[in-house]
Order: sequence, then C-alpha cells, then structure tokens
Amino acid sequence: MSALTLKTITKRFGEVIAVSNVDLDVKDGEFCVLLGPSGCGKSTLLNIIAGLIPQDQGTVLLDGQSVDRLAPRDRDIAMVFQSYALYPHMSVSRNLSFGLRMRGVPKPTILESVQWVARLLGIEDLLDRKPRELSGGQRQRVAMGRALVRRPRLFLLDEPLSNLDARLRTNVRLELKQMHHQIKGTMIYVTHDQVEAMTLGDKVVVMRDGKIHQTGPPEFIYNTPSDTFVATFIGSPEINLYRGKLFQKEGRPHFQGAGFSLTLDKLQTDLREGQIEVGIRPEDIGTGKPGTVDLTAKVEMISYVGSEKVIHARLGDEALTFCAPKDAVLRPGNVVQVAIDPGRVHVFHKGRRI
Amino acid sequence: MSREHLETNIIRILRVLGIIFFVVIVAFPFYWMIVSSFRSLEEILMQPANLWLDITKINFRAYDEVLFQHGFVRHISNSTYVSIITVVLSVTLATLGGYAVTRLHFRGQAFMSYSILVIYMFPAIVLVIPLYVVFSHMGLRDSIHVLILVYLAQTLPVALYMLHSYFQNLPVEIEYAGLIDGCSRLGVIWRIIIPLSAPALASVALYTFMIAWNEFLFAFMFLDTPEKFTLSRGVVQLAGSVHLSKQLVMAASVLVTVPILFLFLFFERHLVQGLTSGAMKG
Repeated sequence: MSALTLKTITKRFGEVIAVSNVDLDVKDGEFCVLLGPSGCGKSTLLNIIAGLIPQDQGTVLLDGQSVDRLAPRDRDIAMVFQSYALYPHMSVSRNLSFGLRMRGVPKPTILESVQWVARLLGIEDLLDRKPRELSGGQRQRVAMGRALVRRPRLFLLDEPLSNLDARLRTNVRLELKQMHHQIKGTMIYVTHDQVEAMTLGDKVVVMRDGKIHQTGPPEFIYNTPSDTFVATFIGSPEINLYRGKLFQKEGRPHFQGAGFSLTLDKLQTDLREGQIEVGIRPEDIGTGKPGTVDLTAKVEMISYVGSEKVIHARLGDEALTFCAPKDAVLRPGNVVQVAIDPGRVHVFHKGRRI
Repeated sequence: MSREHLETNIIRILRVLGIIFFVVIVAFPFYWMIVSSFRSLEEILMQPANLWLDITKINFRAYDEVLFQHGFVRHISNSTYVSIITVVLSVTLATLGGYAVTRLHFRGQAFMSYSILVIYMFPAIVLVIPLYVVFSHMGLRDSIHVLILVYLAQTLPVALYMLHSYFQNLPVEIEYAGLIDGCSRLGVIWRIIIPLSAPALASVALYTFMIAWNEFLFAFMFLDTPEKFTLSRGVVQLAGSVHLSKQLVMAASVLVTVPILFLFLFFERHLVQGLTSGAMKG
C-alpha cells in the first residue's frame, strides 16, 4: 500500500494557482524528493500534506486513509523546516521531547527516545543547551532530531539543508541518506537543488508553476526528461538545446539547426516534419573521439571543475557546452572536432519529448 | 588641540549639560514632593523654601494621617484591585485577540486589524459625558467594576496593537512545528506564543497598569462614594478639602507615584528583546 497518495490537489492564493491538480503516490519507506525552482508550489504542497494549509480541492491519503479532516497533530507526521523553527525558550532535550510530551508518552519512554535520537545524531553533549547557543549545523541536527524522535509514519522535510554551508551540506546529505536506510521511514523532501534531489531521492518529482512535470527515479529523469523544462532544470552543466527543423532525407529523419545538422536514426515518432528541439547533454559530446557526427566548434571559454573541464564553444551561430577530460589541452580560440552520439540526443516537439 | 578633539569635548560637555537639565526638570519636583511629605506642617510653614531634608527630623505623621484618617488604605486597595483586574483582563483579551487578527483567517480580518486603533482616536473627554449618561441610566455609575470596563475599553486597543505587531514578527514556522508536534491552537498560544512574547506581555501589562492606576477623569466622573475612590481621585479629594495641609497632599502623591516607580524598575528587566534568538537559522 502507498504510504502517501495525493489526488487532484489544487490550491489557489487569490488569483495565483500555487498547486494545480497534483496526483502523487509515495510507497512505504520511499525517499521522495519534490524538486523545482522557487515558487513552483513544492513547499505549499508539503504544507498541504502536513495539514497546515487546507487544499481547495483534492484528497490527501495516508496509508490509504483520507486525512483531510484531521488536524496536523492527528496526522502522525513530523516536519523539518528550512528555518529549523526550534522552540527558543526550551533546551535541546525539551525541544526533542516536546512532541512526545504533548502526546502523553510515559516519561521513561521519552527519556529513552531522546537518548536514542541524540546518539543517532551525535548531539548528546548539547542536550542542556538552548537553541541560541548552537551553531547552524547543530540547530539543523536538533531540528532533524525533533522529527526523528517521534518515529512518525511520514517525514516532511522542507529544504532542511539550504541554510548550511556547502561542505556541511554535502556531509549532512550523506548522513541523511544513511539515516533513511537505517530507520526506513517514508520521507517527502522539498528542495530546489538538483544535486540534492538526484543523490537523495528514490523518486524525484519535478515541479513547475504548481504542476508536476515528471516523476521517476533520478536516472530515469536524467536520461529521459519528459520535456524541455525537465531537461534544462536537471543536469549541470545545463543541457544544450537547439531549435530547428525535422525533415526526411533518403527516408531517414534529419534535424537541421542554425549551426549544424544531425541524422536522427533512433527517432521513433509519427511526426514526419516540423519544428523540433534537440537536447544534447554536455557529457554526451566528445572531442576527437570517433563519433557518428563530427562537428567543428570554436572554443570561447573554459571552466575548470576539478574532475573535468567544461568547454563553452560556438557551433555556427549556436552556443555549445561540452565536457572534456581534465588533462585536455584546449585554449580559447582553438577549433576542435566534436563528436555527437545521435543515440543520446533528446528530441522534443512542442516542448514534449518524442 | 585638534578639531576632532575639540568636537569630542564639546559633545561631552553638551551631554553633561543635557543630563543635568533633564535631571533638574524631572527629578526636582519629585524630590520636593518626597522631602515635603517627610516634614511636619510647622516646618513647612516656617521654612517653605528649605530643600534640605534633615534626616533626624524625618516625620511619618503625614503618612499615618493620610493612610488611616483620610481613608487612603481603602483608596490603595481600590486602585490595586481595579488595576490588577484591568491588567489581567487586558493581557488575556489582547493575547487572544492579537493572535486572532495576526494568524487566523476570517472574514473581516484585515478590517479588524486596521480598525483596532481607530477606537483609540476618540479622546476620553469626548466619551466621558455620553458614558456618564448611559451608566447613570443603567444605574451602574457609582461602581468600581464599571471603571474596570472603561479602563479596559481604553487600554485594549493599544494592547491589541502592540501584541499584534509583536506576534507578526514571531516566525510562523515555530507555530507550525507546535501544531505538528501535537498542540491545538490554544496549546500553541499557551506553550509557544506566550513564553516567546514575555517582553511584549510585560510591556502591555505595565502600560495597562499605569493607565488604570493613574486614571483620573473617569474616576472623578463615575465615583461618588468616598469608600469607592481610587488613589488619584482620593488625592484630588484631599487637595480640595478645607484644611489644606501641604505635607498630606505630598504624602498622598508619593503613595500614588512610588508603586508605579518600583513596578517599572522591576519590569524593566523583563522588557528585553530578543527572546526568539536561536529559533531560526540565525
């Protein structure tokens, strides 16, 4: 059975449609990431699941039961906020135990649970401190602990890492992943950071303007983006996207863009000709390697990202970004041969994948 | 001497002069009041301009007379009763009302939150005559409890406004966390909002207490029986009586002023800001 099911959830704020007709299914123990740019409705959706904001339309089901009429406290969920939202007037241990105390859990059990979660997060030494005496990372841990200690049936996490500095974020991300394996809870995680989404999620839900664009495992979304928005939003450096014409030549589909043309042998569509867009991921473009299509590009700028080089080049009138090995000898102004594997080209018609 | 040095010195001198000026303006009448209240009538009559209080000649007769012969024990207890009940009601109602207009969504919420202060725009003198007539007709005039009602009406708008703007600055996520952790709305107010708003609540309590304790106009209009007089009303009664004794009025004035002074000094420590620090990413 699904731990969480959303059916046709819609929410308006005045004229603005924050969430539009969202359906979603999250399995028990799944780590589901809601990913999208800011203002896409992902946090609103999370607040609707929590019961903090009522939806205008649709149903939220937990374990197959509608919770629409239940107050947040009766939904058996826990939430970690971007701002942490710790209770500033309570010590760490009282912050952690607050939810259990409110539910009338017996004292010895509370003590045990607080000890367990403090050990799990390595914050045993901080239990007597007040939130203002903690660093950002420590506060983040307490906020996580406050959710974990209740062992709810659903965890909601609203950009919990976005206030940490970059290094800490990477570490906590790994810990979070391990913790998820350890406690096997169902988690809904909201983020605008695609790296977080790809590394953490069993399932990634890409949203924009209140709508779900694509749902699936990270690799699936990366390899077969359903539309041009998902294709550009996922992946760094960004995918190369070119507008052009589809036409048939000698019975084979061809793409003619402003800077180059391609044969799209693997294209399976009824569309014979028309305006299309093709997307090529920077890492699917090689230099000097034998490829089916060889093109000549002029290097304009080179960014070093450690493990590789990202080359920004010109291909006719179009810009082209591709990845080169870190030891590649390239300078701005160089003219290079680039090879594109037509099998890895994404083709879109009217924004949708074909 | 450099120019910068000169400027610093001038500012320093001006600062000292300013402090002296305000101390004289503010503290001198107060000092005179206290000194006079500790002297005997003969002393005041013989040396009316003497500002020095001779420690050996301190005299509590005036206090004794004011308290026990002129009914000020009664006035003090009346004022205390009126002020404390007003504070309790005002803080309770303002907390609930302030929370409602800040966080709850209901029809007319915006209108409510903007119109709170409009009530405060009516000067008391405009209200006192109609209220006098209304309460007289209802037979409620000579009553301490009507006074409480009027003080409540007078203080609640400002109290609501103060708490409303304070509540607006409390991060809503903390309340969300409380709601998810198992609190009802009232539970959130009791366990999270009130502890976090302690400084604002202290300010509101102090403000309300001062208004209720010092108020004179309504007490003057509404109260007829001397047993029901509040302190300020009592002082005026005393000052207007035939056998005017300066030291008695001064002692009565000290009795009005000193509780407020100590209350303020006590609460002042609680008026500190920044109780929410540490809740958020910070």
